[in-house]
Amino acid sequence: MLENQSKELSENREDEITRQLCANGLFMKTTEVEAKLDEGNIQEAESSLREGLSLNSEEARALLGRLEYQRGNLEGALRLFEGIDLQAEIQRLQASAPPPEKPVTKKNRPREPQQQPVPQHAASLVLEAIYLKAKSLQKLGRTTEAARECKSVLDSVEKIFQQGISDAQVDTRLQETVSHAVELLPALFKDSGDYQEAISAYRRALLSQWNLDNDSCARIQKDFAVFLLHSGVEASPPSLASQVEGSYTPRNNLEEAILLLMILIKKFNSGKAKWDPSVIEHLTFALSLCSQTSVVAKQLEEVMPGVFTRVERWNSLALCYSAAGQTSAAVNLLRKSLHKHEQPDDLVALLLAAKLCSEEPSLAAEGAGYAERGVKNAQGMDEHLKGVGLRMLGLCLGKQAKVPTSDFERSRLQSESLKALDGAIAFEHNNPDLIFELGVQYAEQRNLKAASRYAKEFIDATGGSVLKGWRFLALVLSAQQRFSEAEVVTDAALDETAKWDQGPLLRLKAKLKISQSNPTEAVETYRYLLALVQAQRKSFGPLRTLSQMEQDRVNEFEVWHGLAYLYSSLSHWNDVEVCRMWEGRKEFKPALAAFLDGLLLDESSVPCKVAVGALLCERGKEYQPTLPVARSLLSDALRIDPTNRKAWYYLGMVHKHDGRIADATDCFQAASMLEESDPIESFSTIL
Amino acid sequence: MSDSSSSHDSPPPPAITGVSEPPVANDSDTNAKCQTALQSLSSIVTTATIPPTISLLLEDNAVSAAISSLLQLPDSGAGDNNLCRWLYDTFQSSEPQLQLLVLRFVPLIAGLYLSRVPLRQPQAGFEAVLLALYAHETTSRAGQAVTVNIPDLSHASIYHESKGPAKNNSTCLNIAVISSTLDPHGTVRSTRRARIVGVALELYYGKISMMPRESKLNFCESCEKWAGQNGEREEEEQPRGLIPEEESVAVGGRSEKDSGRIPLPWELVQPILRILGHCLMGMKGEDREVCEAASKACQSLYLRSLHDINPKAILATGSLLRLREMALDPKNQVDHTEISSDNVLSV
Repeated sequence: MLENQSKELSENREDEITRQLCANGLFMKTTEVEAKLDEGNIQEAESSLREGLSLNSEEARALLGRLEYQRGNLEGALRLFEGIDLQAEIQRLQASAPPPEKPVTKKNRPREPQQQPVPQHAASLVLEAIYLKAKSLQKLGRTTEAARECKSVLDSVEKIFQQGISDAQVDTRLQETVSHAVELLPALFKDSGDYQEAISAYRRALLSQWNLDNDSCARIQKDFAVFLLHSGVEASPPSLASQVEGSYTPRNNLEEAILLLMILIKKFNSGKAKWDPSVIEHLTFALSLCSQTSVVAKQLEEVMPGVFTRVERWNSLALCYSAAGQTSAAVNLLRKSLHKHEQPDDLVALLLAAKLCSEEPSLAAEGAGYAERGVKNAQGMDEHLKGVGLRMLGLCLGKQAKVPTSDFERSRLQSESLKALDGAIAFEHNNPDLIFELGVQYAEQRNLKAASRYAKEFIDATGGSVLKGWRFLALVLSAQQRFSEAEVVTDAALDETAKWDQGPLLRLKAKLKISQSNPTEAVETYRYLLALVQAQRKSFGPLRTLSQMEQDRVNEFEVWHGLAYLYSSLSHWNDVEVCRMWEGRKEFKPALAAFLDGLLLDESSVPCKVAVGALLCERGKEYQPTLPVARSLLSDALRIDPTNRKAWYYLGMVHKHDGRIADATDCFQAASMLEESDPIESFSTIL
Repeated sequence: MSDSSSSHDSPPPPAITGVSEPPVANDSDTNAKCQTALQSLSSIVTTATIPPTISLLLEDNAVSAAISSLLQLPDSGAGDNNLCRWLYDTFQSSEPQLQLLVLRFVPLIAGLYLSRVPLRQPQAGFEAVLLALYAHETTSRAGQAVTVNIPDLSHASIYHESKGPAKNNSTCLNIAVISSTLDPHGTVRSTRRARIVGVALELYYGKISMMPRESKLNFCESCEKWAGQNGEREEEEQPRGLIPEEESVAVGGRSEKDSGRIPLPWELVQPILRILGHCLMGMKGEDREVCEAASKACQSLYLRSLHDINPKAILATGSLLRLREMALDPKNQVDHTEISSDNVLSV
């Protein structure tokens, strides 16, 4: 429709000769009057119209005004419109309007025509004249005046048609003017900077009865949503009068905007309004700001087929689901869109798929494939993404190394991972995340010197703002058996951390205390940590998001686990002072119970498995039947974390108790090799 | 652990309810505060004449430019910096007008501050200003989170009717957090830095309709620096030949250009995107320069989110860029309020 309009417009300009004025069944060529208008002879132009078309003076002026307006002679149009006493006309119309009745609600409005019909022709003439006056003022940049005129159109309509407008009552020309005015008014207030008036004009447009067609209603809804989202002016909630009992009333800009946009999408889906691609973009933006991408996904899923290609749709959905943490849904969608018959070379999809797969050992091999394809496709304009591809390749290979079929395979994957990450850093030498990942990869391979260098570089580059950087450095130092330095780092990190985020650091600190044979302080630290975790559980509503802590929040059971571990190790402790503290407690049973609780909560917890295995192994000295259980738990733990020194050690003990001395020797050897480079918590807890 | 103790070193900002106070006392009080602020500013800014009233000062480009260039000096963020002290005191006055004046410089301060962090410069002055803003926001919303209900269309609303059974069960509303709870902070702990700056940006966004365009331009520039993706588009820009050679040549180490790149957690990205959304779509009338700056910033942030593979940021920045594209498309620039132009004009 719009294109048609503009086409018509251009055609008009080309052959203006054909344009005519018409009234009362009579016709006149526009050129006749235009010549007079150009000479500034308004009077003559008016009288020639009155004669030629048998019009009265107001009608003639209105028609001339419209002619001038269409010719783009806005000043002339304004002069003509100002020559008509529009207010008097309106008052005349109001007098002829039916007396006000009781206000009728939306639902039970009477359908029958009014008894005293408003002289619509006259109303249409006057209102159109005022409207064109407003338009002329707008185009002349006098928006404040334009808004005033435009508002008077709507005020008059409300006075003349006190019961709102319905299809049956209004002729099309009048309706057109009304619809235009309804749509123009908020835009005028917006342009003149009168934001509060703009808001009420928008609400007036949407909440009163103007008999708007679906498309213009949709446009107003969209404009209002955009205004609410971006103007930066907080709208007061809608007036009580507009609120209907039991219906939802938005409380703030974002809520109102999202509501409107969702309604629009629903209208599009049911075919009530023409699809406008900007609406889904506005909605995506608004909902992403609220971190509600799963709602975006729902909206996208409901969009009618044919609007997006299926690959577009899958890729957008994958972004939504991955942002909402629904990794497997996202991966499934990406598999479809990256299928060889779809768009296997889409770079963003490849990189996203690789990233998602890099988080899951069982998908890492698949992810490495996507990453390789990504690297291959990062060309031309996208060459800058090559580094990202390499980085993802490195991460996937590193993750893959965790589930290898053999030791040989493991070391091959690890070195390839390092190679890829090193390649990536050539592209992105200033990317701290990459520096960190490289550090962790070195640490996993027990190249602690390189690891600590990268850890320090990461802390520098991020200005210490990322908690995991501090933790990583402390762990590397602990692996180098530099416990006191690790503690200094941990304390520095605690200084840079707000109380609620200190959990993982306190846990680390407690472990460092233990490593430095300082159990009393370790117990103190654990107690403090326990108090913190319990306070957190009580005071955190769902509204608190802990940006850096979501992944590594300390579970309460972990703390109990730590304490239980401490108790059980204290059973070997000779310090009378400390023993008295724990006197009367049977360490074995509560410790075992705590670990088993831990295992129930998280069945893949390596530390729990190792600890239970260890306790059962100790027990096995006197009570043989526990040994097979211990053995299977420990082997299980080693499958998940092959660098777990304690697991190797206790597995060796189990073999020893069972009399398999050769096996035991192997295990002890592994344990002793690892001991020299064992961090206090596994490096994989960080990445 | 000394969070709350040190936050009261400075007088806590009184509640911002200037309306409830008696107007006369308020007026003279305001005037006195404004005059003091103006006088002390004139001793700091010597290169431009300070206008006699605050409202004139807000509009004054010369003074703003002078302040901006002072802020950009290498040691401007230090604890003993006069300008920082002035900004801090001015904001603490809790006069809305004066606070606007400080907020106007938030883009520049935040931009310089975050980009200078890895350079290990003393920045206690900037931190004091940012903490003042953070404390103000913390008190004014009592530390509470800002939330949004995500509507469910099966409930009728003021804008639509629902055919479904009229449930009046508000519990199935989906609540989203747009700004999480605020704990008081007396110092900038590095792990909280992004949040503190993010809150300052939220505050800036809250008053953005009153901010001058230069301030928004400053912001867009800061964003581009933070994103650190400017290298990627050199190819496009080369024909213009505007980039001095030595700037783009950076062999090893960190060039000046790199040093602006900062970690961009969501607590920063979210307010950044809201501000950019305003610059692109919410300004009164069209401002080409601001729009173009904002869309460049958006482009950089989009590239950055691709590098970080941050799906939420990819979605949001991608949407902004597509919206910008649609707005520029002449096909979408139709005035629907224009009357139809028939060949036959009738009464």
